[in-house]
Amino acid sequence: MNEAEAVGLLEKVLGLAAADATVVTLEGGTQASTRLADNAITQNSEKSNSVLTVSCAYGRSHGSASTEDLGEGSLKAVVETAQAIAKRLPADPEYMPPLDANETKKYADVDAFFAETAGLEPLARAEQLAAAAKMVAGKGLRLSGAYLSGDRFEAVANSAGLRGFHRSTEAGVHLTALGETGSGWAEKISNSAADIDANEVAERALKIAEAAQDPTDLAPGKYTVIMSPAAIAEMLAFLFWGGFEAKAVDEGRTFLRGKLGTKICGEETTIGSDPADPRCPGASFQEEGLASPTVAWIEHGILRNLCYSRFWASKQGKEATGRPSNVIMQGGETSLDEMIASTEKGLLITRFWYIRFVDPMMPLVTGMTRDGLFSIENGAVAQAVKHMRFNEDPLDMLRRVALMGRPERTGEYIPMLIPALKVRDFNFTSTTKF
Amino acid sequence: MKDLCLHGVEVAKRRGATYADARIVRLRNQHVMTEDERVADIRESESFGIGVRVIVDGAWGFAASARVERGEIERVAARAVDIARASGLAKAPEGIHWAEEAAYDDVFGTPVEKDPFTVPLEEKAALLLAIGKEVLAVKGVKKCHARMHFRREHRHLATSEGTLVESDTCTSGAWYQATAVDDTTAKDRYFEAPPRNAGYEHIENTPLLAEAPRVGEEAVAQLSAKPCPVGKKDLVLHPSHLALTMHESIGHATELDRVLGMEESLAGSSFATIDQLGRLKYGSPLMNIVCDNTMPGGLATRGYDDDGVKGQKWHVIKDGILVDYQTGREVCHAIGAKRSRGSCRADSWASIPIIRQSNIGLAPGTEPLTLEELIADTKDGIYIEGMGSFSIDQKRQNFQFGGDCFWEIKNGKKGAILKDVTYQAITTDFWGSLDAVCDERFWIPVGIMNCGKGDPMQVAQMTHGSAPARFRQISVGGARK
Repeated sequence: MNEAEAVGLLEKVLGLAAADATVVTLEGGTQASTRLADNAITQNSEKSNSVLTVSCAYGRSHGSASTEDLGEGSLKAVVETAQAIAKRLPADPEYMPPLDANETKKYADVDAFFAETAGLEPLARAEQLAAAAKMVAGKGLRLSGAYLSGDRFEAVANSAGLRGFHRSTEAGVHLTALGETGSGWAEKISNSAADIDANEVAERALKIAEAAQDPTDLAPGKYTVIMSPAAIAEMLAFLFWGGFEAKAVDEGRTFLRGKLGTKICGEETTIGSDPADPRCPGASFQEEGLASPTVAWIEHGILRNLCYSRFWASKQGKEATGRPSNVIMQGGETSLDEMIASTEKGLLITRFWYIRFVDPMMPLVTGMTRDGLFSIENGAVAQAVKHMRFNEDPLDMLRRVALMGRPERTGEYIPMLIPALKVRDFNFTSTTKF
Repeated sequence: MKDLCLHGVEVAKRRGATYADARIVRLRNQHVMTEDERVADIRESESFGIGVRVIVDGAWGFAASARVERGEIERVAARAVDIARASGLAKAPEGIHWAEEAAYDDVFGTPVEKDPFTVPLEEKAALLLAIGKEVLAVKGVKKCHARMHFRREHRHLATSEGTLVESDTCTSGAWYQATAVDDTTAKDRYFEAPPRNAGYEHIENTPLLAEAPRVGEEAVAQLSAKPCPVGKKDLVLHPSHLALTMHESIGHATELDRVLGMEESLAGSSFATIDQLGRLKYGSPLMNIVCDNTMPGGLATRGYDDDGVKGQKWHVIKDGILVDYQTGREVCHAIGAKRSRGSCRADSWASIPIIRQSNIGLAPGTEPLTLEELIADTKDGIYIEGMGSFSIDQKRQNFQFGGDCFWEIKNGKKGAILKDVTYQAITTDFWGSLDAVCDERFWIPVGIMNCGKGDPMQVAQMTHGSAPARFRQISVGGARK
């Protein structure tokens, strides 16, 4: 759906509403996925949808309703449902009236839509995966993974005159190469399918997998580790998942309580968000049409900002940030090879798996290594070792950074630009069987 | 709707599909959310669309659309066939084995005494607000989040083999969390009417309000509780906790698509490989794990799965030995089974069906045993209720779990509350240490609403039941060493 169609539909919905204040959003697009297992395509799907959400308020009482049916009768029904909810509920002391049109002046100019990616045919994905699978099969290993592509749009309109539209495309390949006793993994994510070369990704996964065979036992303990951008991203995503919500912080319910303006990690740690960064563009606006923030969360180790909802920002005299649309961590210039060469004894981590909070107040998180864990001895990769479980404080980990690589595009849930890191005394607590 | 499903199947067949199915699904959700003594949000949502799945020349295709109209269905069916032809570029040499299943013409519905969508919102909000007031009345509690969730899924499924089934399932659940805060930290305690395929009567029959003071007090007690010891302890696990341990260490590990490597790139695989079927000692002889997609109230109980296979009940682990898997029609041949166990589900009309956990749980003990008797028989242990931190490796072997609330057991007595308890084990060692399960009077089903799997991620629901059970000499406290 283009801007004229989406905003036109939202204006039509606004015209049906009789509430004191109304915000309508339309989000949708086409998502396609071609999945591979054991060198064969096992799933190949494509879906298109649009979700219309109507939020209505009478005074400070509000409610919302959404539908995927954009027929005339459904538009009227969804407005009536939202209005009926709002009419029947008590006033919400935290209700905020709709943003006015001036908010759009804060929207970042984001370039994240590539027409050829939006129209990428299943044959193009299948051809790339088929070639990659053939290459890996030729080496006697198996390839699994997926090529995902699609386009998304978000549109917002409200009774205070705000109108917004954002669209983007995304293409990504992640592949796992498997041998009898070990596996390797690699990914490539971009907003343009032109950047995706499944064979190149498969070659990286294959190289790791070949080295990952016949892992040996290694006792858990504290090790110097070299972690990929994907591994770091997985840990950082957990920090932002709940930990940075300003209301919870101010009420003493997250690990950042009392920390605003103080040093929470090492001097070299700077993490921010900028939706306009072409290396990992985010959406220009978020819920209710609030501009996505361009902000430093952590600057040279000092906690500079939190995620402020509109209500909490107004209560605390801060600027509303909402949630980050991307996460960008500044890095260094050290290559992976240089990190390995500088390490006398340590471990090389391909990626992590199943990270969860153990204690969200500390913070303490746990997780497993996956798809290739290697010992490093005297500046060279020595041997594949069996995977291990860690229990670590990610903020404390960021005080033990020895070297940083150049940031790379990654991020499973949100666009992220993250460097590889070499970190001292990473805490492994147990091992597994493979 | 039946005609539209059949039309999608017919178009796909005409275009060359050797197998086709079409699903039209209308999904309605209602969330009522309160924070302390305010209604934070009420959200109603409805999703409606059709998905067409095909096999063409031994390769899969799937396409879906939110426009349920004849012309659009023809486009979607044709698109699915085109996608399948693209899949043919890298198809498995042996093609697709599609297990036989009888054709059904049937209707299934969740028995509902009180339709939750007809219960006034004011009544639901009032109950959650009253809970918030009770919880916040406990000194030291600073926050109460509460929520009700109702879900109704109306599905029509037609297959090219003649199956035409309809299901109408209704799910109801409610939960709240008390958060106690002091000068140094914060601790949570949780209570729920576990999600169940039932009507609003499930909410009314759960003592949500009556338990609120205790829940608040147990949150506060954790602030000053003794920390988790480090070492080996006997664990007595309540069904509200054991549900997640079973989900992660048994449920996922016995999904046959994972076992065969079909989820390798994302959700992972399994240590419980098919060469060990009938031989793998998964646990102690007391371990009987039963899947039951006919179980009343079970979240995976919907008459037929999305492969059109009728709901069944079976053991995956019998007397501690791996004897079967959770299967679908595409993969069951790998273990020599002629018929699928019916475990394939999609999370919406827009998603492809994949193997999802059934209602899978631990069978109760056969000898009379109460929780009190089990604790009385335990000299040095920890009793755990509720779910907390959880993490497991991608083959489902090394796991580490927390919980929601913990009590010391000393010389057969439930003692003081502990805080920050974690335990870690290898799956087969853990289940091998199972030495007591309470009897069927204490067997409780616990629904899970947010199980993630697939790529793109799909979110499925299922129920895990058990009675309280004891596990001997498990490593605890290692997370903070």
